[in-house]
Amino acid sequence: MQRFSWLVLLACWPAFALAAPGHQAGTQQPDEAEVDRVIQIEASEMMFGPEALTIAPGETVKFEIHNSGALEHEFVIGDRAAQEEHRRMMQEMGGHGGHGDHDMAEGEHGGDMPAVTIAPGATATLVWTAPEGTSQLQYACNIPGHYEAGMVGEIDLQG
Amino acid sequence: MTTKTTTGLSLSRRQLLQGGAALGFGAATLGLSPAWANPWGQSNTYPQGAVEGNDIALAIRRETLAINRRNTRPITINGTSPGPLIRLREGQDATLRVTNLLDEPTSIHWHGLILPPAVDGAPGISFAGIAPGETFTYRFPVMQNGTYWYHSHSGLQEQLGHAGPIVIDAAEREPFRFDREHVVMLTDWTFEEPATVFRNLKTAEGYYNFQERTITDFLADMRENGFRETARSRAMWARMRMSSRDIADVTGSTYTYLVNGQAPEQNWTALFKPGERLRLRFINGSAMTYFDVRIPGLKMTVVAADGQPVQPVPVDEFRIAVAETYDVIITPEAETAYTVFAESMDRSGFARATLAPRLGMEAEMPERRRISDRGMEAMGAHGGMDHSDMAGMDHSDMAGMDHSDMAGMDHSNMAGMDHSNMAGMDHSDMQDDTSPGASKGDLLPAGTAQPGSQYDQAGIGIDPDERRILVYRDLKAFRPWPDRREPEREMEIHLTGNMERYMWSFDGKKFSEVNGPIHFRKDERLRLVLVNDTMMEHPIHLHGMWMELENGAGELIPRKHTINVKPGERVSALITADAEGSWAFHCHLLYHMDAGMFRVVKVS
Repeated sequence: MQRFSWLVLLACWPAFALAAPGHQAGTQQPDEAEVDRVIQIEASEMMFGPEALTIAPGETVKFEIHNSGALEHEFVIGDRAAQEEHRRMMQEMGGHGGHGDHDMAEGEHGGDMPAVTIAPGATATLVWTAPEGTSQLQYACNIPGHYEAGMVGEIDLQG
Repeated sequence: MTTKTTTGLSLSRRQLLQGGAALGFGAATLGLSPAWANPWGQSNTYPQGAVEGNDIALAIRRETLAINRRNTRPITINGTSPGPLIRLREGQDATLRVTNLLDEPTSIHWHGLILPPAVDGAPGISFAGIAPGETFTYRFPVMQNGTYWYHSHSGLQEQLGHAGPIVIDAAEREPFRFDREHVVMLTDWTFEEPATVFRNLKTAEGYYNFQERTITDFLADMRENGFRETARSRAMWARMRMSSRDIADVTGSTYTYLVNGQAPEQNWTALFKPGERLRLRFINGSAMTYFDVRIPGLKMTVVAADGQPVQPVPVDEFRIAVAETYDVIITPEAETAYTVFAESMDRSGFARATLAPRLGMEAEMPERRRISDRGMEAMGAHGGMDHSDMAGMDHSDMAGMDHSDMAGMDHSNMAGMDHSNMAGMDHSDMQDDTSPGASKGDLLPAGTAQPGSQYDQAGIGIDPDERRILVYRDLKAFRPWPDRREPEREMEIHLTGNMERYMWSFDGKKFSEVNGPIHFRKDERLRLVLVNDTMMEHPIHLHGMWMELENGAGELIPRKHTINVKPGERVSALITADAEGSWAFHCHLLYHMDAGMFRVVKVS
């Protein structure tokens, strides 16, 4: 139920225009005015820094994700099963060509997954409110091989 | 058996610390546990022991030792065979003192390492070799990182286990993460003397195969004797499920395939904690054997090839040619055992290890696959050599073959034979300009796959529909290599052989028959084109310089020290000839090299 209300909440917020060119997060994001905290994430080959986060349920976080690597990466939030499903889909898509349309990861398990794609050298932002009633989520890059090689971090939501 | 285990460096933790510093984001400000508290780095496991540091001493002996619980006489390095893991650091100056306690000259070549010619370790080319009783000191700066290996470059000593793994820890964070690592070194051991093996190959081609000579002969036999008779004469190898036809010329009939020196029954076991990310460093240190490697139940993500990082590729299986290395990441989640299964390419045997959370656990072994059949695909190799025979082949006979009679043969493979390839063979290609140094205007752009290459095929005997198999096409670097020049010229070299007489050569000439070296101009950008005119795979190794395999990845072509060339295939690599001096260039199948598939490359 709490999860449901979170999704509704997300859906009700107006879309927020993102600064990074060439992509837009598909999920309607919380208003930037609501942001409680800014978290900087570095995406590179093949890891995120930091490798784990603690975020309180209900906290609205603005992620500023900088891609310091040589390859394109994504930053997707979801539970383990949803990430896996997303990964499977991307594998079937046969890699990650023509990234323009890939804004949303729609895992069957996790529902809509907040996601951004970040070109090498670029910085993207994602505003997100941590849900209630979930203890553990992951942020991951599901471009084939990237997750397996280490591009995953754990979000502890125990509060 | 003497086995000792030495704990390696806490590599990963150091990596993490370096990585953390490089990130430039204060982890502490984000409310994280400190990086040093992460239970990250774990020791390397390699059962033959490890040596490290700035001054490493290695003693080479021939002594009695048990292999697969049977006493035999391998060559040992510091008392083990294969030898200890040599662990170096990128940026260090390595000093390795090698003492020869054999009664014949020896050497150690550091396979895949970029270093001065005097310490490359190929006797007769860049140094004199190490005389009995002598200590030779190798000193060189370590300018790279990754998984490599070392082996004797003297005669057939490598076959006696004179080899071992090299791990070079990276100066900067590598482009992947792992919690624990294991070295998986594959070798092929024979209780016969290597000289005997070689003599057997020389005197009776197919000695270890129990098979006919070539497809052409098979078809000729069929024309003469009819299919039934021909098939009957092949019944022995069929019943034994031995290698069919020139897939490997030394097979499981004499070889025991080893993982880190341990036979399948000994079941070398590597430990993990469920959920850990493991890095497995696969090294094919065999004399003659290609392996197909898989871990049923686990995806393997390939993160490095020949010690060089590649964009990660999740696969179910990979083929590792002799002398290649592949690093893979796996994440076993369950509290269960897994089998690391390395079948020899010809299916005449396998090496095996176990990954488990505790010692003593064992997983089921996968069913062994049927023998591979060279089939028609290898005929491509004969296109350039034997047109008359090709033309003379009675294809209608093929169609009329009585399949019901083919008792032991692998019908599925037969069905899978790609006849279209035959028809589609581009003969014009084979008559292409073979003169080295074709005019620059004709050259393909750097990174382009040659017509006639089969980079999207794994090769004979594995079914790409069944599981995802690594192919050369998958290998992509993260960034372009420093030299981005287009090739100035092309040099084409044919891989040639006469199987019947066990003669192996480049451009039809054995090493003993050539006058002088192949010449690379100092600092030129060269395209080396390798054309395999034989019916076997050949792993081609160049000392002293990287080969950038032109697999179609453009600027992101991978760097390799050893390139597998499939039968009939035409591949190419870009080389920056920046390493002045004389270097070995050869097929890394030990007996092929010894038979003459060897040249000296002189850069001046």
